[in-house]
Amino acid sequence: MFDGLRVLDLSEEPGWLTGKILGDLGADVVKVEPPGGDRVGRRGPFLAGQEDPERSLPWLALNTSKRGITLDCKKEDGQRLLRQLAAKFDVLLETFAPGQMARWGVGFEILRQANPRLVYCAVTPFGQTGPYSKWRAHDLVVTAMGGNVAVTGFPDRPPVRCTMPTAYFHAGPEAATGIAMALWAREETGRGQLVDVSMQECQLSTLMTGPGQYAQHHRLAGRNGAVLGRTREIWKARDGWVSFGLRGGQARIPNLVATVEYMAENDMAPEWLRKYDWSEYNHNTLSDAEIERLEGAFGAFFASKTRRELYEQAVERRIMLAPCNDAKEISEQPQLRFRELFISIEYPELGATLEHPVAFAKSSIGGIGIRSRAPRIGEHNAEIYAEIGIDAAELEALADQGVV
Amino acid sequence: MALFEGVKILELGAGAAGPVATRYFADHGATVVRVESSKRPDFLRMVHFTPDNPHGLDGAPMFVLMNPNKRSVSVNMSLPEGVEVVRRLIDWADVVSENFSPKAMTKWGLDYESLRARKPELVMVSSCLFGQTGPQRMYPGFGGQGAAISGFNHLAGWPDREAIGPYGTITDSLSPRYVALLITGALLHRRRTGEGQYIDVSQIETAVYSLSEMMVRFSAEAEIVTRAGNRDENAAPHGVYPCRGEDRWIALAIWSNEEWRLLRRQMGDPPFGQEPRFDTLAGRLEHRDELDAYIGRFTSEHEPHELARTLQEAGIEAGAVQNFDDLLKDPQLAHRGHFQTLCHSKLGEMSFENYGIRLGDGPPEMRIPGPNLGEHNDEILGDLLGYTPEEIGQLVAAEVLV
Repeated sequence: MFDGLRVLDLSEEPGWLTGKILGDLGADVVKVEPPGGDRVGRRGPFLAGQEDPERSLPWLALNTSKRGITLDCKKEDGQRLLRQLAAKFDVLLETFAPGQMARWGVGFEILRQANPRLVYCAVTPFGQTGPYSKWRAHDLVVTAMGGNVAVTGFPDRPPVRCTMPTAYFHAGPEAATGIAMALWAREETGRGQLVDVSMQECQLSTLMTGPGQYAQHHRLAGRNGAVLGRTREIWKARDGWVSFGLRGGQARIPNLVATVEYMAENDMAPEWLRKYDWSEYNHNTLSDAEIERLEGAFGAFFASKTRRELYEQAVERRIMLAPCNDAKEISEQPQLRFRELFISIEYPELGATLEHPVAFAKSSIGGIGIRSRAPRIGEHNAEIYAEIGIDAAELEALADQGVV
Repeated sequence: MALFEGVKILELGAGAAGPVATRYFADHGATVVRVESSKRPDFLRMVHFTPDNPHGLDGAPMFVLMNPNKRSVSVNMSLPEGVEVVRRLIDWADVVSENFSPKAMTKWGLDYESLRARKPELVMVSSCLFGQTGPQRMYPGFGGQGAAISGFNHLAGWPDREAIGPYGTITDSLSPRYVALLITGALLHRRRTGEGQYIDVSQIETAVYSLSEMMVRFSAEAEIVTRAGNRDENAAPHGVYPCRGEDRWIALAIWSNEEWRLLRRQMGDPPFGQEPRFDTLAGRLEHRDELDAYIGRFTSEHEPHELARTLQEAGIEAGAVQNFDDLLKDPQLAHRGHFQTLCHSKLGEMSFENYGIRLGDGPPEMRIPGPNLGEHNDEILGDLLGYTPEEIGQLVAAEVLV
């Protein structure tokens, strides 16, 4: 899809996914790191517990389909090299604090002079301008200020986040979309533009129009734990948790009927439930007592079965119930296996083979998926710097000065 | 000229995952036509189907807020004449985006293979929960099940409580970003080569792909990442702390020894904080429960927004845990024009939201609220497809346009 597109990826961890997505769609993505590698970003956990940036598992996971070079943006020579490089690329991606690139003499206004076609994408916690633009934030503070944390959790505990960084997961494809939009515009205008992505703002769509609805009715959403709306969404099975909505509507009623049938076959549907009229069922209008009676019956049944049993029957009977999978269960999930979601990548120098999710979609013309493993530190310095006329001797001199 | 002016998108499907994706185009000038009918309405039109909602299918705020700038035609696809109307809409469209279950389009003869024969340059995206192939492709879950299967429920909350997932069904907000990217990428590809394509998106796969780090960590060390409250192994303190007021909280993250010294100073350099066991990250991680309790006593004397401002100015990463009311008043979101007011014919003034991208050439434009069912029947069938008023009248009489 993006074959031939050239992306210079200066991002730190919040932007890694964006570059990876573009690379997995065929773009030639060149990852730029400080000399010696990104010591903060190439964080742990490390392969076999050995603290070495080349063994950083987050790095290996999120920088596939990229080539890698080193460059010190803080040094004048580094800045000169960056300006030369940027003239040869379609897209530049960065996640520094607003204004930082400009202070280094490599901001959008400077780079566009030499390369008017450059699409410049900056991903930051709050955006390039505005009262919070200088504030610092990583996943927790972004998701808190974006509204998701306040409503995640239980009424008797503090608000809580997701243990993996969803702020980056949402901003990743959002920024890639912004870049694609700017490329579309470039087809008409012939020039690039700034793509300013706010991670905080990306969070708001996770609230499913909650703030807009609040503006109408002024009832604050609380933290309802396992309850969604009025009824329970997470249930205890014999060996863990499952998700099942006790909600109505045309699309859900057949699944409620099928669940009761399944329960009846196991002698676990009381007579009132077997006779229940689901045709007019509306979870919005149930009384508390009715909710309690329904949840009691469904809950007792789910608790008597393992998650695997329940899910196999759910697939068979078209019941909307699913296990709350962990990483191991995802890696064994039959549908994902059938669709060959995972690919094994060899890391000969690390003595390891790691399994990665290979792609996020399939196209009839192909071309979506990991092309190559994440680069080693400075792995492609020679070939990339040769493009701007730097030969081996000069590269060595630059390395001696700590520029690359 | 708006970015996507002239781009024509036909949308079939319901809920959030499909329709949120096409908003990027509608808000930037594309013509997006939604097909649905009162015989089988988008279930989001029924979320507020309660006795106190007098507007029926046109009175659901969630639907209205999620679908601005789109046009609605009501077509009963269980009748062959209805399928014919949709076929003519497909002839008109550059892109078909649908998120029905996998058999639906085939049943109507509108699967990609059939459509490609008629229109090779068509871009078509299907984005159901589990993808178009495989033994569980007909599994009928919603986003709640998507979050469970893809691992996000397991990852949010507390280790001693239910696997709750981050608020909102995450596959419904995550997968549309990928779909919007894929549509734009496919349009760019078509512009260069003339070639159309069919894209099969599984909402669950977009979520697992996003969790690449977790999957690689499992593959490498058999590590199972599990929900751990607000903890982070690279920062301490790192959490959500109580503030003055009812259900008020501040989020705070300390990544370095220097930041810890800065926070200590903000707390008035109490003797407790100066204990050497807190001087290193390892020490702070080891004693984090004690630290958290201590910091909580400090934060609970302050209002969250004021305290966050003071801490940020001192170089400490902090932010109020904002509720929906805070978001409407957030000066940064206001600066970006996040909320835009439009007047809906039945629900009155409503706050519509933007997404996270701002382009240098100009912001997205909010023009009309999410449409009433069939609101644009005459315009779409008449102006776009060239049906005469008599033909439209016949389709209404035959319950094709309902």
